[in-house]
Amino acid sequence: MNKILNIFLTFILTAFFATSTFAATKVVWWMESSADTDPTVQEMMCDAFNAEQDEIELECVFKEDINDTIRPALLSGSGPDMFDTPGASYIKIYQDAGLVKSMQEYADQYGWQDKLLGWAYNSGVFDGELYSIPKNYETMIYFYNKTLFEENGWSTPNTLEEVESLAAKIKAKGMNVYAYGSAGWQPTHEHLVGNYFNTYAGPDNVYKALIGEKKWTDPEFVEAIELLRKHMVDEGYWSGNLETYYSLDWDDFNNEFATRGSAMLMIGTWGFNVTATNFGESSDDWDWNPLPILNSQAGGAPNYQLATGGTMSINSSSKNADGAAKVIDWILSDKARALKVTGSLGYGAWLLPLKYTDADFDPNIDPRQKRFLTEFAEASDSGNYGYTTWTFYPNDPGVHIWKDMEVVWAGDITPLEFMEESQRLWDQAREDDALVPVGKR
Amino acid sequence: MPKFLTSINAISWYFLFPVIFIHFFVVAFPSILSLLLCLTDWNGFGRINYVGLENFQELFRDRVFKKAVKHNIIWTVMFLTIPVIVALVIAYLLTGIKRGQLFYRLVYFFPYILASIVNCLIWRYIFHPRHGLGGWFENQGIDFLAKSPFAMKETALYAVAWVDMWHFWGFLVIIYLTGMYQVDDSLYEAADIEGATKFQKFRYITLPMIRPIFVLSLIIIIIWSVPTFDYVYILTMGGPAYSSEVVANHLYSQAFQRMNVGYASTIGVMMFFYVGIIVGFFAILRRMGWEV
Repeated sequence: MNKILNIFLTFILTAFFATSTFAATKVVWWMESSADTDPTVQEMMCDAFNAEQDEIELECVFKEDINDTIRPALLSGSGPDMFDTPGASYIKIYQDAGLVKSMQEYADQYGWQDKLLGWAYNSGVFDGELYSIPKNYETMIYFYNKTLFEENGWSTPNTLEEVESLAAKIKAKGMNVYAYGSAGWQPTHEHLVGNYFNTYAGPDNVYKALIGEKKWTDPEFVEAIELLRKHMVDEGYWSGNLETYYSLDWDDFNNEFATRGSAMLMIGTWGFNVTATNFGESSDDWDWNPLPILNSQAGGAPNYQLATGGTMSINSSSKNADGAAKVIDWILSDKARALKVTGSLGYGAWLLPLKYTDADFDPNIDPRQKRFLTEFAEASDSGNYGYTTWTFYPNDPGVHIWKDMEVVWAGDITPLEFMEESQRLWDQAREDDALVPVGKR
Repeated sequence: MPKFLTSINAISWYFLFPVIFIHFFVVAFPSILSLLLCLTDWNGFGRINYVGLENFQELFRDRVFKKAVKHNIIWTVMFLTIPVIVALVIAYLLTGIKRGQLFYRLVYFFPYILASIVNCLIWRYIFHPRHGLGGWFENQGIDFLAKSPFAMKETALYAVAWVDMWHFWGFLVIIYLTGMYQVDDSLYEAADIEGATKFQKFRYITLPMIRPIFVLSLIIIIIWSVPTFDYVYILTMGGPAYSSEVVANHLYSQAFQRMNVGYASTIGVMMFFYVGIIVGFFAILRRMGWEV
């Protein structure tokens, strides 16, 4: 009887240790959920990673409003091994609280700095160490109805005079100049504010203001806000008037653009996919351009503002940080695979900021999208870029930009008062050491 | 075992213990924590620095907070009048309906059981400038009605309140109706013999007899108006230009958008004191012999 018991126990213990020793390390990754992209990401990233190797088992968990979900998890000392955040300004807070792990040793080990575009790598460096890597990058551009422009003999605008002259012609045809709206997403306003800062005040001045060498109350910023107010309120460039702009949501304004309700759509590059899809159902053709420069003194053409749409990081309390770093390295190591994934998502998500070259692209890629990817990478990697508010602003000044812009449009405060409040919040953020990193220009 | 541990009194405490335990950790402890946090500059993550009464001083300088308080007062006044009057009238009319009353009750109560997001989407669609009433008015050449009232600073607060009231008055109808059914029929019969009109019966019999339920509904409205949030958040996010900002919305923005958790706690504490004053006021009335 004892012998049988011994054999049984030996078997059980052997099985237990074998399982523990040879089982793959499990890495859990909480990602921002999007019904449109989750199945593709699961299949082309998570499942593909698991199929390629046995050492690590990657579990991707898709979460709504990732920042609200991850915060209590991190604060309680638990949470996943890896997690997404909406942007670098959140990482700064996590880093201050010691909730996110420095990835510097992994960056050095795997050579991530050489793989990523310089500005993208720098956006995750806090106090000299890497804490986050952008999952996606984007910039602001404008799409236009190419067929409509050709029919009417219109040229795409590059200067303020050309914008205003074209706007008059478009309105005379009974159309709106730009399709856009903020229903369902109030921070939409900050896209416009950022555009006017970068194309009127210019990227150099924005950079100086970000690092504290200039005041946000300087005339070029106040004038930029006044010009935006004029175009929005007096001229009704966006969807005809301010109230309609407030009332239109994503589907509304994209539909308006595709059905000739508006001639142009000033939006982030996340608009490529929906524009291509909507125009696919129409006989009209579309194209895009960098934003027009609204002040000849501004410089910075072509104007591409840097923006990261979500970041990935490692939890400071993760027991599998090495495994998490291997997952990240796998993601960053194959540019062709990265392009295939983002291509499946219409280049609107998972557009990793890698140093793409012509050879990396699928020959079937839409030339308009390819033009953006190569031109943006070239311009931004050579240091010619602007700055979006949602990537380079700390929380409080960032929220002020889109919350209080409405107050300017309502006529309750002047552009100067708006910028004075902005400056006050920036001073406070600087005093609190809450600024997000801005790579040296 | 000591006798007091098995007494009826003790046993009832055993049954209450799980609820008290959960209540302490889920409600009481966070509330106490919030009282402490209002004296700090905590951002929700890192160090907690004591700042004394700085947040309260900031609160009295905060123009958005002042605006939000004003909007909450307007909101409360609207809810104390329009849905109450509508619900009283409907409930009274319903008491006179013998057949199909259940159908009407269902119709009035239906918006109340719908999720707020559904109610909001319905009304946003109705007022939509392109494919709702706005589009229709624009086609008729009535341009000033083509804009959504949610998008105009002059009307946004009232439009949001309208949607919330539309969903809320069905609840009041049901509770008033319940109260009216408890009124003794003999009072109405006596009034009929005296030749009282319908209005006189409502004024001198129905209203006084449902007073406890009526006052309770007013207390509920006043207290529920303080943390009102969902309809404002979904429909306007407090805009345009803070024209529909309410206190709870401002608190949310400070805590979860601007990451000023300490300051947001200060707003929460002010809301707590306000509700405390309301409850205290009614408690005093009760002690003075009012039927509340």
